[in-house]
Amino acid sequence: MTEGASARPLSPHLQIWRWTATMAASITHRATGIALYGGFVLLAVWFVAAAIAPGPFDRISNLFGSPLGLVILFGFAWSLVFHTLNGLRHLYWDTGRGLAPKTAAMTSWLVFGASFVTAALVFAAALVTAGR
Amino acid sequence: MTTRATRTFIAQRASAVLLLPFVIWVVWSLAALAGAEPSQMRAWLTEPVTAVLFAAFIVISAFHMRIGLAEIIEDYVHSGAKGVFMTLNWLAAIAVGAAAIYAAYALAFSS
Repeated sequence: MTEGASARPLSPHLQIWRWTATMAASITHRATGIALYGGFVLLAVWFVAAAIAPGPFDRISNLFGSPLGLVILFGFAWSLVFHTLNGLRHLYWDTGRGLAPKTAAMTSWLVFGASFVTAALVFAAALVTAGR
Repeated sequence: MTTRATRTFIAQRASAVLLLPFVIWVVWSLAALAGAEPSQMRAWLTEPVTAVLFAAFIVISAFHMRIGLAEIIEDYVHSGAKGVFMTLNWLAAIAVGAAAIYAAYALAFSS
């Protein structure tokens, strides 16, 4: 970043700020977005395998039940729920509302809490289904 | 009147809204499939309605995630590598979307 034309100053970065809930939610929104990018690549691979490679499809599907598979599935489910709920928060902001610091901090906590509760409930429901 | 940036902004929001019902459906369905045999999962994906909805979910998501990652690249990559990353991002999103369409076609509509 020192070469000629692009050597313009940048705003202070992450490490300089005191942590806040809004900041954590913003970073988590991006992190879950990147995780979901990877998740959708896997989802597409699984979908294609169902169509053309029955052997690998069976192996991937059986992996879902293993401890590692459950961790990945929970991570995917929570990421999807968090990104969706925080996305709703973004859509609400787009209407010009909910932007006051206190409100934004409160909704950050709300989204963190609700995403964990929802993902846990979905997972509990899935485990009940699996034990049918 | 609308610039490319504005169109991208709107496309990001429109795809987000469109994805909401799909997310509920997918989370619900995958939870219901927990513990199922691979053959049962395959049978579910082979139903034409599921195949089409699942492909649509992945295609809209690929569209949405391409914009999201492009935003992150624009924020953090300022060197000449930016164009390379932007191109790779496009290619990955297109590959994911195309793979989903192909899978849906092969599962539910061929033979």
